[in-house]
Amino acid sequence: MVIVKRKELSLRERLYLPEVVRALSFTFRALFKRKITRQYPEEGLPVTEVTRGQPRLTLLEDGENLACVSCGLCEAACPAYAITIDGQETDRFIEREPERFEIDMLRCILCGFCEEACPKDAIFMSDELELADFTREALIYDIDKLKRPKAALQKRIDYFYKVNDRWRKPSSTS
Amino acid sequence: MTRIILNGREVEADPKQPLIHACHTHDSDVPMYCYHPGLTPVGSCRICQVEVKIGEMPPRVVVACRTPVTEGMIVNTEAPGAHDARRQCLEFLLKNHPLDCPICDKAGECDLQDYSFNEGQGEGRSVEPRRQLEKRKSLGDVIVLDQERCILCSRCVRFFEDVTKKPQLTVAGLGSRSTIETFMDRPLEGNYQGNLADVCPVGALTLKKFRFQARVWNLKKSFSTCGECSRGCSITVEVLRSAEVKRVRPRYNPEVNDWWMCDTGRFAFPAWNDTERLSGSATHAGASIAPKPSADPTAALDEIAAMTRVASAETIAIVASPWITVEEGALVKSIADAFGAQATFVSPPANDLKDDLLHTGDPCPNRRGLEELGFVAQTADEVATLLGGSEAGILIGERVGSLIGAERLAAVPSTSRIAVLDTELALFPAACVSIGVPTSAERTGTWVNVDGKRGRISAAKPAPTGVTALTHTLEAILARVARVGVDG
Repeated sequence: MVIVKRKELSLRERLYLPEVVRALSFTFRALFKRKITRQYPEEGLPVTEVTRGQPRLTLLEDGENLACVSCGLCEAACPAYAITIDGQETDRFIEREPERFEIDMLRCILCGFCEEACPKDAIFMSDELELADFTREALIYDIDKLKRPKAALQKRIDYFYKVNDRWRKPSSTS
Repeated sequence: MTRIILNGREVEADPKQPLIHACHTHDSDVPMYCYHPGLTPVGSCRICQVEVKIGEMPPRVVVACRTPVTEGMIVNTEAPGAHDARRQCLEFLLKNHPLDCPICDKAGECDLQDYSFNEGQGEGRSVEPRRQLEKRKSLGDVIVLDQERCILCSRCVRFFEDVTKKPQLTVAGLGSRSTIETFMDRPLEGNYQGNLADVCPVGALTLKKFRFQARVWNLKKSFSTCGECSRGCSITVEVLRSAEVKRVRPRYNPEVNDWWMCDTGRFAFPAWNDTERLSGSATHAGASIAPKPSADPTAALDEIAAMTRVASAETIAIVASPWITVEEGALVKSIADAFGAQATFVSPPANDLKDDLLHTGDPCPNRRGLEELGFVAQTADEVATLLGGSEAGILIGERVGSLIGAERLAAVPSTSRIAVLDTELALFPAACVSIGVPTSAERTGTWVNVDGKRGRISAAKPAPTGVTALTHTLEAILARVARVGVDG
C-alpha cells in the first residue's frame, strides 16, 4: 500500500484566479507561435522516397504485365503472413506469373521485408499511406489494386538501389 | 560389415554399398547429384568427391559413389583437396545452369540449390553467355523437360534402364551440347514417368500437373499410404494451406515400393480435392428431394438403428468398401456381429494396370486386411443381389457406391432400406439415410497390403465441416445397435 500525501497548496494557488490567468497566458501565447498541426485530409503527410508506405507491385515497361514471377519469397519473408500468392504458367519468356497475389493490408505491418526479399524488383514500398474502407474484404488487396506503373515507384526504386548498393555485390548473373 | 575410418571415427559400412552410402548413414553429408541409392552409380557429376587413404598409399580424391568400401580405409570428406574438388565441380555445374530459382518448381528441395547455398559461391567467374536451350520441351503427358536446367546427371536415363527396364531416354549430343532426349523425339510411355521428377536432382524434369502450382516450402507433408492398388506404396501427401492436396510423392520403403510409385497412384489425388461431396448427414425417408444435410448426425444414426430394428437379422446387409481401414473394419465387423449378419466388402474386378514392378492390378488397398478380419469379398453383382433381397442395408466407406455402380443401385427395390456412408450421394437414389465420410486423405488408420505389410494412412488435411471420423460414426452406430440387441 502506498500512502499518497496531498500536496499542500500555497496561498497564491488557493486564491485560484492568478493560476487561471497563468494558465490562459500559455493558451494565448500559443496563438502567436508557429503552427505544428496539420489539416490532415486536405493537407497530406510529407512523403519522400524514404517513406515506407504500403507495398505495391510494379508493372514491366510494357505497362501490362507484372514484374512478379510469383516465386513466393515475399510470402515467405512476410512476418505478418499478409501475402498470399498462387502462380500460373504464362506464354511469356519468363514462364511464370501470379494468378492471385493478395496482400491483406489489415495484416501488413509495412516492414518492407517483401521489398528486400524480391529477386525481381517486383514489389516496392510505395508512398501511399492511407488505408480505410467499409469492409475488411475490401482491404485485402488483389493484383488490380496493387499494380502500379514503374514510373510511380521509380523514386523508391532508385533510393532502394542506392542504399542497398552499400552491401550488394555487383551481380555477375545474367 | 566392413570397418572404415570416416572423418576420424571408426564406423561400420555395408560392403555391398558404395562408400557414399556409408558416409550418409554416418551423418556425413556428402553431396550427390548423379548418385541415387536406387540406381546404378555412374559417377558422372563428380560432386561426391572425398579423400580416401588405403593402406600405405598416399591419400587420393575419389568419387564416393563409385568407390567400394574396403577394410581399414581412411575417409576424410572434408579434406581441403576433396572440398576444393567438389567446389570446382559445382562451379562447372553452375556455369550453364540458369538462375531460374524464382520460377523453378524444384526451388526449396533442389540439391543443387542447397549445396550452392552451403558453399556460398554466389558469383560466377564466367564471362561467356550461358547455354541457350529449349526450356519447355514436353516429354509426353506427364513430364516437361527444361534442358537449360539439366546438369546431365543421367539419373532419369538410368531410371528407365534400371527400374522399368525399358530405356526411353538418352543423353544425346557431345560435350557442352549434350541434352537429354527421348529416342526419335517420341513421347515417354509407361506408368512410371512421374518418378522422373523425383529422381531429377534439379528442376529439369518437372510434373506438368504440379508445374507452378505451389512453392514446395508452403506444402505441409504428411506420411500416408497409396490407395490405388493393393500394393500400398508409402507416400507423402503434400497439402497447400490445409485445403488442397497438390502433390503425392513416393516415400522410401524398402519392404514395399523402394523409392518409386506408379502414375496411377501419383495422380489420383484430384479426387481428394473435390468439394462437391456428401458432407453432413440426412434422413431421406423416401423423399424424392434430397434434404439439406445437417451437421448433427444423431437423427441419421437413430434412423439407422430404427431401420435395422425392424429388419430380421438374416436380411441385414453390411457392405463395406475395400478402402476402409483395419480399425474401421473391426468396428464394421462388430456391427455385423451384433446383428448376426455377414460383413462383406465390394470387390471390384482386377484392372489392366498390373505390371511386374509395383501395380498389382487389384484396386483394393485393404483387401487382405479385411479378409483377415473375416470379411467376405463379393462382386458388385453379388452385392446388388444381396441388397435387393435385404430389408436393411448399410453401405460403408468411400467409393462404395461407385464400386457397386449406379445402375445396380438404381435397380435395388424400395422394400430394402439402405443407409449410405459415402463421400458421394448422387449414386444412391433409394438411400434412406446418408452420412458423409472422410476420404483417405482425411482419415487415420492402417491398410494391409497384398503381402501382409501394414501401411499407415494419416490425415493430410482436415475433413470438410460436418464430416466426422468414420470410426466415430461407426462407434455411434455400434452403441445404438448393441442397445437394440439388449432391448429386443
